[in-house]
Amino acid sequence: MTRRATCIAMLFALWPLAGVAQLNVSIATFDPGVPEDYSLHQDMDVFPKIREIESLFLPFVLREALTSTGGWGAVRVVPEPDESAELSITGAIVHSDGESLAVSLRATDARGQEWIGATYYSENNYEDLFERFVADLAGVAATVDDKTLQGIVNLSLMRYSAALVPDAFADYFQQLPDGGYRLLRLPADGDPTMARIHRVRSVEFVMTDAIDEKYRELHEEVDSVYEIWRKYRRWYARFTVEESQRNELRERNADKGSYEALRGAYDDYRMDRLAAQEQDKWIVGFNNEIAPIIKRMDERIAEMSGWVDDGYSDWTRILGELFEIESGLD
Amino acid sequence: MTYRIASLALAWLLAACAPTEPVIDTTTPSFVGAMPVDFSGSWERDYSRGEDVQGALNTLFRERQRIVQQQSQFPGSPRQSSGISQREANALVALARLVEEITRPDVLTISQDDYEIRVARKDDFDLSCSFFEGIAQGTDSAYGTEVCSWDGDSLVSHLVLPGGLTITHRFTMSPDGNYLRVITTAKSGATRTPFTLHRFYIRFEAPPSAFNCIETLSMKRVCSTGEVGP
Repeated sequence: MTRRATCIAMLFALWPLAGVAQLNVSIATFDPGVPEDYSLHQDMDVFPKIREIESLFLPFVLREALTSTGGWGAVRVVPEPDESAELSITGAIVHSDGESLAVSLRATDARGQEWIGATYYSENNYEDLFERFVADLAGVAATVDDKTLQGIVNLSLMRYSAALVPDAFADYFQQLPDGGYRLLRLPADGDPTMARIHRVRSVEFVMTDAIDEKYRELHEEVDSVYEIWRKYRRWYARFTVEESQRNELRERNADKGSYEALRGAYDDYRMDRLAAQEQDKWIVGFNNEIAPIIKRMDERIAEMSGWVDDGYSDWTRILGELFEIESGLD
Repeated sequence: MTYRIASLALAWLLAACAPTEPVIDTTTPSFVGAMPVDFSGSWERDYSRGEDVQGALNTLFRERQRIVQQQSQFPGSPRQSSGISQREANALVALARLVEEITRPDVLTISQDDYEIRVARKDDFDLSCSFFEGIAQGTDSAYGTEVCSWDGDSLVSHLVLPGGLTITHRFTMSPDGNYLRVITTAKSGATRTPFTLHRFYIRFEAPPSAFNCIETLSMKRVCSTGEVGP
């Protein structure tokens, strides 16, 4: 952990003692940022298969950076953006070539208010990129007072409740013309529907934690292979520079039109293509090794998400019916 | 005499109007639907056909000499030497040596899918021809540009390198699919005369490997006698 991260961790460690609410954070898997136009991939140094894997495991690196500070509630990686999350983080990979990484990150709270929306760039050490984002996020959090934080937590719960039982909770908050949300009131203490929603939400959290665990497993399995890929890319970048210097020297020494000059021009291109082909082989190797892990993970997440989705429909129906019965009694 | 003048005028016109650089249209599809020909398979050199480099060079020199002599016999033409210049001869020999090196591999292994044709050659880079919705996708770097096109049922790979060096390979398959003709043409900025070499290949069935192998990053190549899958 860097010195900056340690300072942030210490700062956050003192925070709960002051009775400040800690926001739960949902990090959605990143947008891989692969252009649809295939012809752009080469110019942009985009390796689609590797991007796809990065979009799944880099959010976990961010999760680790956030949890290491101790300043946040539960931090979870989820397959889709969670709109009603207390704090939702989405990201898109802008550039990644194994050597340098640029990710566009956006953090939005349950009010729809953007905390951060910026592109972060890092060379060699991608952990540093996420640590800088976490530091910036902590900076914004420090400017939000405890009452507002509690308001965000309450609004998140109301938005979640309204998604489950719209008839009961739709008028507890208001959607503003700018797309944001404002909390209007809270249910009374001991509201029976609210108690049921808390139970449903805890069950959903258990499942979300299980899904989050799958992303942790993915990170553990992929990290070492990804490091090999990054080492190779660093070597490739060095090779390209050195080869270009060698070629310049060779070109200066040969007569135009001579066999040496022709051979030199052909060999320069040949070496460049052979290196590119070798890189393609590495990408295939990376994919061969990672694909079974991703497939296993996708299957498990699909199973769990399916279970949550099915449960969600049942919960919505049952809670709606119960609310109708209870409202009728009033 | 009139016939000879007309022939010379036609030859001059053809030479003057021939494009100096390969013209490749990379904006409109060169085919619709599937690729015109499926070249995939293993091909080995047919030494009973095709040219050897020395023979092709001798023919080229003789042809050049004949043209120069014809031109010098034309009344009113400036007096010219009876052969080609030493500089041009050296440039042609250099091109011939390069083409000999490039066309040395005895075996070509061609793989083809809906988007790409890849010609693997031993000790050299794979020629790669990519098409996206029928439009040729080139490979461009500081060292050169590679792009392909279709000329009827022939696939033409164009390579443009610094210093005015261009190399084209024209692949044409026989109607029965058993023979492949590859015409390699190299041209440099030092001479206007290109050097062309014809090679022929016969299709053969590569023996199946006893091992199934896949590439991995941490364990490199992993082989097994059974099924190995990602």
